[in-house]
Amino acid sequence: MTDTIKNSDRPSSTPEEQEFELRAHIGSIWSGGRLFIAMYTFLDASLVFSYFYLRSSNNGLLWRPNHVTAPTSYGWGIYTMILLMGLMAFYGQSRLRKGSVFDWQIAGWIGVGAGLVALMLQIWEFTAVPFYPGSSGYASTFIGYSVMNIGTLVVVTYWLETALARSYRLRKELGGVSPVLSMHESAQSFRANVAAMTYFFGFIALASTLLFAMFYLL
Amino acid sequence: MTISAERPTEVESSPVSPVAIPEKRGWGSGWLSQHLGTAILGGFLGYIFGHWLGNYIASGYPYIANSGQNSVADLLALLFMVVGWLLGIGALNYPLAKMVGREAKSEVEYTGWSKYVRYNLDHKVVGLQYVVGVLLFFFTGGLLAMAIRTELLNPTTHVFSADTYIKIVSEHGTIMMMMATSVVVGPLGNYFVPLMIGARRMAFPRIEAFSFWTFLVGYAVIFSALPYGGFPTGWTGYAPLQTQAGPGMISYLFGFAIIGVGMMTAGFNIAITIVNYRAPGMTWSRVPVFVWGILSTAALLVLATPVLFSAGLFGILDKTVQTAFFVSEHGGSSYLWENLFWFFGHPEVYIMALPGFGIIGEIIPVFTRKPLFAYRIAAAGMIGVALLSFFVWQHHLFQSGIDPDMRPLFMLTTELISIPTGFIFLVGMGTLYRAKIRFEVPMLFCMAVYFNFLIGGISGVFLSDVPVNVTVHGGFFVLSHFHYTIMGGLIFAFFAGLYFWLPKMTGRTMNKKLGLWHFWTMFVFFNLTFFPMFIIGLLGQPRRVFTYAKNLQSWNDFSSVSAFLLGASFLIFIANLMWSLFIKPQKSPANPWDSLGLEWQTATPIPRHNFDRIPVIMNDPYHYSEVGAPALANFGDGGTVHSDSSTVSSDPVE
Repeated sequence: MTDTIKNSDRPSSTPEEQEFELRAHIGSIWSGGRLFIAMYTFLDASLVFSYFYLRSSNNGLLWRPNHVTAPTSYGWGIYTMILLMGLMAFYGQSRLRKGSVFDWQIAGWIGVGAGLVALMLQIWEFTAVPFYPGSSGYASTFIGYSVMNIGTLVVVTYWLETALARSYRLRKELGGVSPVLSMHESAQSFRANVAAMTYFFGFIALASTLLFAMFYLL
Repeated sequence: MTISAERPTEVESSPVSPVAIPEKRGWGSGWLSQHLGTAILGGFLGYIFGHWLGNYIASGYPYIANSGQNSVADLLALLFMVVGWLLGIGALNYPLAKMVGREAKSEVEYTGWSKYVRYNLDHKVVGLQYVVGVLLFFFTGGLLAMAIRTELLNPTTHVFSADTYIKIVSEHGTIMMMMATSVVVGPLGNYFVPLMIGARRMAFPRIEAFSFWTFLVGYAVIFSALPYGGFPTGWTGYAPLQTQAGPGMISYLFGFAIIGVGMMTAGFNIAITIVNYRAPGMTWSRVPVFVWGILSTAALLVLATPVLFSAGLFGILDKTVQTAFFVSEHGGSSYLWENLFWFFGHPEVYIMALPGFGIIGEIIPVFTRKPLFAYRIAAAGMIGVALLSFFVWQHHLFQSGIDPDMRPLFMLTTELISIPTGFIFLVGMGTLYRAKIRFEVPMLFCMAVYFNFLIGGISGVFLSDVPVNVTVHGGFFVLSHFHYTIMGGLIFAFFAGLYFWLPKMTGRTMNKKLGLWHFWTMFVFFNLTFFPMFIIGLLGQPRRVFTYAKNLQSWNDFSSVSAFLLGASFLIFIANLMWSLFIKPQKSPANPWDSLGLEWQTATPIPRHNFDRIPVIMNDPYHYSEVGAPALANFGDGGTVHSDSSTVSSDPVE
């Protein structure tokens, strides 16, 4: 989401133009983060629709024979890790706003770790599901959900990791000045990216709550 | 924040992030760097690796060993082909560098033809890349259409088998629909939106380039269906035929998913650019109507395409890991595919229509020298169409997959959408009213859009009514209707846009005589091809069937011969393109149509960053023939553009 300022040579600009470009850039990150959420909402909505469509159709009484359920221990583990990521993102963001980059980085690395654990659990869960993928409507939608969740976890963990890696290099580029305090465009871009990411993580935590309830609790 | 008309002295960029002077390179140098050749190589190697991996992983599974068809290998081959392609073109350089915290390096600025075969971040280059890309899709799909019409010359003597015929129809439909989603947004949207809103760049240039290279590899993926044996479902991919189909179906599903990623990223970037990068003074009421068309389309691309993506994913899972999303016997439902597909598929119709409306709304004021009639209604109409398009998908299920009691509701919503569409149509009529029209080639194409879309639109209103829909469903009437809207509307509008803007894009004038030949042959033979299909449809000929009743042969022959001549009309376009750009190029005037559009006020060729100074917009660009209208824009050097003159003047700002 930071792919806007330093990626190409720029024409010479007046200070007003530079400010205009910077505001447009920050605005792009802000609105890009929100639009990304909208995209993801429709993606998740298609899964939710499929779940309830097959559930209400119950073709051949094969929506969910014997109320078979995916392993709830894995489900709780994955869900907890995603919630932890979300919490760490919000905690880190609040610390960052108060000027502590280090706290944000620690929270961020915990989030990356949680994301990787969730990813590993999500993949490993395939070995433990007590049903064949095509054995029922529930089984099919569960496999679809798992694959989509793997994609989601890769995206969020990648986003968080790249933001963290950027924060280290940025400090060097800013000559030791904290990215929180600097008014340099890279620092502003970094902060906007973190804000957009945190917002997205909040959305993912909410969506995961709904999906967890659908697939493991209902 | 505004930019004042008085410009302070220039300053260099921040010393902390020094601006690298781009290295200039020309054709023939730098071939060790990434370009189309390395992308093809990467795709080829990826394909081989994926196939090997799939065989390694899955060939031992009983269902694969028993069927003799390793769909996992087929899928992984295509997946790694795409990854290899993206690695080869350099699309993944930056995402990988970000993992170690690096920001993007300054781009090497390639000159000449070389830049068009690379991962280029200049929206103008991407726009031209898209022109070539969509023409590739269009002519491939067109050749398949010729094959279809050849088969339909005779109901008893066959060129193809029934099986081959349906696969040709399917490939034609899919390629054309994939092309149509990007035919305006890709080439003209990417090229002109920043210029029209006074921006120096796109918001996310890498995402923009990514969208093009994904779109292009999508062509290879969908075309790979043919060597895999094709797919028999038509472009709609209905289950249970989808589930029963061979490995070509994987190409269809994965191809749609990949093109879907390209569509989402293209829409995302353009929407964000329009929202954030409009020049100072470019209020929403001054945004060109073409930009409104692209913005509403981008919104649909971003929101509807994820559903197509997940439908494709579910279909792929059904084919590879044996889930049963669309298999009724195992707890799935074939109607689920219909719902997911059409939830995307009907907004898709407007993804194709809205940019066309935008183009003609932009062009007709230029050739009538009148302000665009009811500008705000045009913009509102586009937003209305975009919103309502999410509430009509069930009319595709009138025959199956819907509770009959729900039909009136979706009949109503479908009829409702004709109201904002009618607004847009009437805006055009209002602009044409009592105008002294200059019948240049782009304007002729615009007039043709109104003619064709009237037929396509009115037949659409008929089709929204349940009784008519049930009667003509699955026949040539429907086929004719959507060709009138998509080809008669969008493709004619695309050519209007091409003839209108190519002089700006290339700096060359298109040959008018050849342009007129192209227009008239295309217009006449389009109508002679597709209008008889309404009659054929009403007489009961079904779609996707390679034979028909003997008494329909004369109608079909008439349609086929017209289709061949329609195909030939595009050769005139190609000849014109070759003649005007390469054989006998003539330099175009700076503003050949005397347009007030901001895009025409830049130098030709357009500078790398579009505008030396970010313009300050002072008016909308439709005040044609209005004496005393305020200046349109201030370009920062004291130059302004007035509505009664399309040239940049040096008058001070009024």
